[in-house]
Amino acid sequence: MTENRYRRLLALYPRDFRQEYGDEMLGVLMADPRPGPAQAFDIVRGAIAAHLRLMVSGQSRVARIVQIFGAMLLFSIALGRVAVEVRARVKYPEFVSSVETVSWARLAGWGVAMVAAYLGWRLVGAAGATVGLAGEIAAPAQFYLDTPATVLHAYWMIVAAAIVLIAGLVAVRGGREEPRGIFWVAAAGALLVAEATLFDRLFSPVGNGLVMAAAGLAGVAVFRQEPEIRARLLCWVAPVLVTVPLVQWGFGGFVEHNMRHPESLQLINPVQWAVLVLVPLAAFAGVSMLSCRDLPGLSARR
Amino acid sequence: MLPGMNEPTFLILTALAGEPMHGYAVIEDVEHMTDGRVRLRAGTLYAALDRLRGEGLIEVDREEVVQSRLRRYYRLTGAGEQSLEAETARLRAQATLAEGRLRARRTNFGGATA
Repeated sequence: MTENRYRRLLALYPRDFRQEYGDEMLGVLMADPRPGPAQAFDIVRGAIAAHLRLMVSGQSRVARIVQIFGAMLLFSIALGRVAVEVRARVKYPEFVSSVETVSWARLAGWGVAMVAAYLGWRLVGAAGATVGLAGEIAAPAQFYLDTPATVLHAYWMIVAAAIVLIAGLVAVRGGREEPRGIFWVAAAGALLVAEATLFDRLFSPVGNGLVMAAAGLAGVAVFRQEPEIRARLLCWVAPVLVTVPLVQWGFGGFVEHNMRHPESLQLINPVQWAVLVLVPLAAFAGVSMLSCRDLPGLSARR
Repeated sequence: MLPGMNEPTFLILTALAGEPMHGYAVIEDVEHMTDGRVRLRAGTLYAALDRLRGEGLIEVDREEVVQSRLRRYYRLTGAGEQSLEAETARLRAQATLAEGRLRARRTNFGGATA
């Protein structure tokens, strides 16, 4: 194999890795008397591994922040939803029997996940987040056959719940350090609870304003992190954010069809499910690579 | 100790335990140590070297330019030495256990093999 071919293969490696080892590797490759497909395959495999390693490196510390902040916000939303159901029960006792079991389960799950994340209890946190995630899936799933769009509209919550669960599993073990900006997230959570408890979103513009304010406070918490942590946080937030345009534009026709033709409802087909899973994964991978490129200090080793 | 140290990693650390070496010398030494059974390729070697440097088990000893190409020599660090010692002890314990069981098997079955 010629030097130019090896150079082209080495171009597959992340830039930092190439700068560090490219010249050396080229020397070894040219000295190695075993050119051929196996050598090329080994280089490609090494390049993929280097990209993956770069993607996950330094994530365990960030994952703990994601786990704590995410569990706090999801707990607040779950508490707000229970509050809405309690209020409905008080207001319309003849129509609303009691708070649904799944709502209590979600609240308990995220409560446990939040406390465990803060205390660095990995297994308990994972158990709580699993219950929370199951609740986030079960709540819209019970209406899926009648109103498939319910799952789509709740999909960002399902992705957020999955992210918190995954973050808990990869978070740094036994971390006890309080993350920066936690009070901003607590304030955001308080606003979310207040919005659900005090205002009827359908009739009160104040409620929507509070949701926007909560998003702003959560944004402040992200902004207060160190630059490299902030960049990594964006990798975790990207899969959630990308679901909004995905559902809005990617499934707009699907939702409209079901609204106009209730007599011939379409369910989400396997390809659409695959898209719903793969697009958030691709968002994580894409933002990881871009954020690492922007911040060379975040390379695998350094 | 590295949890679950794989064979190439063990062999690379063993090679560097002798003396500082550049990449191609590591490939040749590993091949020599294993009687040709393991011959590392560049992609595998540098992925391992990068990881081991990141874990602080090896470090750069010196650099030189040969035929206008960078040649970097790596050496084992104190942490690398401890890690290699621990892995060696683990492998030795496993080998001793296996030897004992094989010996017992031969005794029980009177030297017959299945």
